[in-house]
Amino acid sequence: MSRKVLAAVVLLLGCAPAAWAQGGAAAARPDLSGYWELRFDSFNVPAAALTTQAQAAVEARRKKDLDAIRGCVNVGVPALMNDHATLDIRQSGSVIGMVAKAPSSTRYVYIDGRKHPDAEELEGTTNGHSIGRWDGETLLVDTVGFNERGITAIPGGGFRGARSHLSERYQLSADGQHLVVTFTWTDPGVFRRAHSYSFRYYKVGSISEPRIVNCIAGDADRARFLTDAPAPAR
Amino acid sequence: MTSMRSIAWVIAAALLAPAGVHAQDKDARDLSGMWIVQDPGSGSWSEWFDNVPKPQVLPEIAADNERIAASERAGNVVNRMPRTAACPVGNLPMMMASSPPLNIVSSRDEVLIGAESNRGRFIYTDGRPHPDVKDPSYVPSGFGHSIGRWEGDTLVVDTIGFAPRVCDSRRPVMLVPGGGRAKDTTHLVERYRLVNADELSVTFTWDDPTVFLAPHTYAYTYKRLAEGIPIENNEELPTGPQPKYITDQVEK
Repeated sequence: MSRKVLAAVVLLLGCAPAAWAQGGAAAARPDLSGYWELRFDSFNVPAAALTTQAQAAVEARRKKDLDAIRGCVNVGVPALMNDHATLDIRQSGSVIGMVAKAPSSTRYVYIDGRKHPDAEELEGTTNGHSIGRWDGETLLVDTVGFNERGITAIPGGGFRGARSHLSERYQLSADGQHLVVTFTWTDPGVFRRAHSYSFRYYKVGSISEPRIVNCIAGDADRARFLTDAPAPAR
Repeated sequence: MTSMRSIAWVIAAALLAPAGVHAQDKDARDLSGMWIVQDPGSGSWSEWFDNVPKPQVLPEIAADNERIAASERAGNVVNRMPRTAACPVGNLPMMMASSPPLNIVSSRDEVLIGAESNRGRFIYTDGRPHPDVKDPSYVPSGFGHSIGRWEGDTLVVDTIGFAPRVCDSRRPVMLVPGGGRAKDTTHLVERYRLVNADELSVTFTWDDPTVFLAPHTYAYTYKRLAEGIPIENNEELPTGPQPKYITDQVEK
């Protein structure tokens, strides 16, 4: 009898850590929360293989993107992810928020098991609709539902639009100081094959104020800087 | 034998209890989700915004409220103030009262409260203090600087560092529901509590000796939008000349 009791204790001892882990299921996953910045050695960006149709549209898209910058339109994904200022990522058990300093909506990645809305319910946005799931310690994110507003240029070439599909893989280093994100875009109208590139973010302890950049669409000097061809330096 | 059994259960309870408590606390403290403010049926924005207990304000604030109301009755309802680099970003009281849902992400060190088409507020819960908001390097905004701490199941948020004025020719001040003001001398305390999984209560208490005769308190209830989809109010600006109401200088 006493052996049975002891066996029960041993069993409970064995189960307890699992119960703790279950109680903090989200906490057991890597926590991507923090301030992240890109540095000079953060980019592994090969050239994209563009369709003929996309190549023909590059200049028009460049001008459209420039208009969006001039007009302080929300930049959206992917520009939000390669912002020159620090990126703030916040993770809860059900959703991850990503905030850039550039004019943009907060990007939300739902990790609560939901699916994308039906296409007819999904109004395109600059960030698209993102859902994520954990594969071990790697966060896999799937995004659809983009529009053609904001900065549409994709690192390496090409641009996003309503038919674009983005897959991302987020991997936190063992020491928690680096975050490698691999982006893979597909869009039959833009890419001849899937286009992948990676960023390696560095964790930093703080973020500078102000957190929200005051973008002034009516700033004539700024508009001229953005749109006039630079005069050659002498 | 009985004592052996008791010991086993005590050990088991001690080992398992923290997991349960931890999970409960964690749920009560996770405000994440999309939340929509509950309008009790006021019928219009102005009525809704002022549908709170009336604050006791200084006579000059009451007079200013009358002046703004008279100006609006006379037809001055369009903002003609140009947006410049000096214009503060954000408007906390309006954001928290507005009908577009709030999108909250609760992380351990920071709570994001996103608003439609923008980034919204940041509430630091990592124990940091407020900065010196009188220091010239501090950039005031309509959101101020917010820090939070948990008192049981309630997130208590303390905000200071609001901008003294906003860029709006119609109402050049940041209005607080009921007829108050939020400005550089204002202090706000908010209390966030999950009433249940689908209901969030937020109590606001505004204090400012240059505005209120006594602290001004009111509460909103927000309902969860379980499968809400974030949207963007993200119209492209025209590439040609800007509309006149944007480019006009403010009328003196």
